[in-house]
Amino acid sequence: MSFSDRIAQGLESGWKVIDGATLTENHTAEADVVIVGTGAGGGTTAEILAKSGFSVILVEEGRLYYQKDFKMDELTSYANLYQEGMSRTTKDGAIAILQGRCVGGSTTVNWTSSFRTPDETLNYWGKRFGLDALSPAAMAPWFEGRETRHSMSPWNMDPNLNNDVLRQGCEKLGFSWQIIPRNVKGCWNLGYCGVGCPTNAKQGALMTTIPGALDNNASMYHGLRAERLVMNQDRIESLEATAMASDGITPTRVTVTLKAKHFVVAASAIGSPGLLLRSKLPDPYERVGKRSFIHPVNASVAQMPKLVDPFYGAPQSIYSDEFNFRNGVDGEAGYKLEVPPLHPAMSAGVVPGHGDEQAKNLAGLPWMQSVIALVRDGFHEDSPGGTVSLRADGSPMLDYPVSDYLWKGLRSAFYTMAEIQFAAGADKVRLMHLDSDWYSNWADAKAAIDRFSMEPHRVRLFTAHQMGGCAMGSNPEESVVNGFGEHHHVSNLSVHDASIFPTSIGANPQLSVYALAARNSSRLAQRLKA
Amino acid sequence: MTDPLTPSEGLDALSLDRRSFLRTGLGGALFLGTVSVTAGLSGCATAPAGRLGAVAPRMDARYQFQFLSADDIELLEALLPAILGSALPEQANNRRIAIAGTVERIDMGIHKFGPANQKELRQLFDLLNFSLTRVTIARVWPAWRDATTEQADAFLQRWRSSSIGLFNSGYMALTKISNVAFYGYQENWQLSGYPGPPDWAVKALPQFRKA
Repeated sequence: MSFSDRIAQGLESGWKVIDGATLTENHTAEADVVIVGTGAGGGTTAEILAKSGFSVILVEEGRLYYQKDFKMDELTSYANLYQEGMSRTTKDGAIAILQGRCVGGSTTVNWTSSFRTPDETLNYWGKRFGLDALSPAAMAPWFEGRETRHSMSPWNMDPNLNNDVLRQGCEKLGFSWQIIPRNVKGCWNLGYCGVGCPTNAKQGALMTTIPGALDNNASMYHGLRAERLVMNQDRIESLEATAMASDGITPTRVTVTLKAKHFVVAASAIGSPGLLLRSKLPDPYERVGKRSFIHPVNASVAQMPKLVDPFYGAPQSIYSDEFNFRNGVDGEAGYKLEVPPLHPAMSAGVVPGHGDEQAKNLAGLPWMQSVIALVRDGFHEDSPGGTVSLRADGSPMLDYPVSDYLWKGLRSAFYTMAEIQFAAGADKVRLMHLDSDWYSNWADAKAAIDRFSMEPHRVRLFTAHQMGGCAMGSNPEESVVNGFGEHHHVSNLSVHDASIFPTSIGANPQLSVYALAARNSSRLAQRLKA
Repeated sequence: MTDPLTPSEGLDALSLDRRSFLRTGLGGALFLGTVSVTAGLSGCATAPAGRLGAVAPRMDARYQFQFLSADDIELLEALLPAILGSALPEQANNRRIAIAGTVERIDMGIHKFGPANQKELRQLFDLLNFSLTRVTIARVWPAWRDATTEQADAFLQRWRSSSIGLFNSGYMALTKISNVAFYGYQENWQLSGYPGPPDWAVKALPQFRKA
């Protein structure tokens, strides 16, 4: 068996990759384009611009980790590859935020689900935000191009039992289900996507666009935090950045100034609004950081009669959209049903509890199955989203109040998940709510869910999809960038990440980010050549 | 770490439950927000324990604590038997080693949380360590080093079942950092029936080969 580690080979061949921790003196560098962020948006932008002949500098706050570091260990991966060592939450601590912080961003740690933006979502954007140019027909070639670039196709092996329980339950109840397209090439079906793919099978930014950009003379700083964009009259002149020590979190005193003709911000739906706010860029209608969406996720776990081994096998291979658009695009809150992988630390963090009871819960892990519901937020006036603001130290923070509209959707999802698990033969089901017991039949579970108080903290909530905060739209009074990601008020600034979505997506967002970034980067390349 | 003279920004985080706190008659969020300040000024050991200190004999002398203070370590030593229950070994020496190792891994994890969440945890730990708030808010009468596992468990149950969101949040923070650090550790994988990464894959992958 031969191993082709593109990163190790590239570094050997002289890629221009600079580790911020090794910098000892302040310095200045210059390029045609400076890109902040190396995830789905930044990587795509860098590759397209570098291949078009522009000089590109990529800036990443997290560090460069690759195959040599991916040892299928939760604790080291959560500490190094995720934002705030996997402790990031919303302002009140009620929603856990899973988000990557490394070269490749969240694409390095996501579970590889690759969905096109649903037609309903694109049509809603056209109607509501004047984004008619993003119609399903207009976007189709961009999705297709990115599906090829990232080797996305429906998973062609059998789903693991964890996922198959979702399929079986849906079958029994007459709910629709489908097979999830994944961005993998030669996948070993191990189950460790969330801690950095150990085999390089995952075709995230780390294995595709980042090497593509670096092969075409782009340079990349990692361990370098973008502090602020500095304006000179009506244009951005430079980016000021701070180097981080090798622990990835302690700033050193070294600063780097990066100058460019054009700047692309792709630092995530929390990081990008944060950078724009810190930079005090023109924002006459105070839109930056507003309408932040997260696909609020709640969960249910089941104890199955057969061994599930939910830690092995492709983490996500089956989904159901039965309830996603059931009430129309802008009716009562819809949700997508999926399955999460369960390794010991993840399970210990998700299943609330302590003492002998918790020891017993976790001893049952090999028989544990879980379903999650991703609520589609932002399509209704009672789902206005959250707000990204700055802490006193300048770091960004998301405040996300859960509205009654969303609580209703989350309660409805509790019912659906428990019903599906019992239909698939679960012995017991427990909802991820502080008041939930284990229930041994659907009627008991239903009666208990009727009584749940739907409140922050008591309902265990998660998000792995951060969107919005620099919304695109045709009207500058209610958006930050136009339909090409171009800033309404600063001519040499674009935003190319999930922060430009004016609502949530209604599906795992990586392909939506790749496709829009590809479209907007091709346009940017034409513009810069002109 | 926490600047004791800066009005804590946690006041913001606490304000969500301000009304609930006022209803409890505990003096409101302002009182809570000043705990870190008071604890800092009164010389409570909120500096990282480093390698030395009162808890040294029970900890691995080689480990350098980066966040947890000597008081925090005593607090965790009191809470972990209640949080981990029967998952902890019974034999005294093994139990001591398991608790000490978990405390170290909690410290390593918190170091990677970064400044903002460290600040939040500093407030939580100070609130629990400061005797006045330990008694009035956590309702634990003895110092943590003298608290029984039953008292620690009763405290956790109160915060879990409380109708005050902030207490639920404190319960989740304490149990989550402990459970993740404990069950996620390779030597404890067997407690959740997890065999670890498949052997065949480990044997086939270059990153596991000894250089």
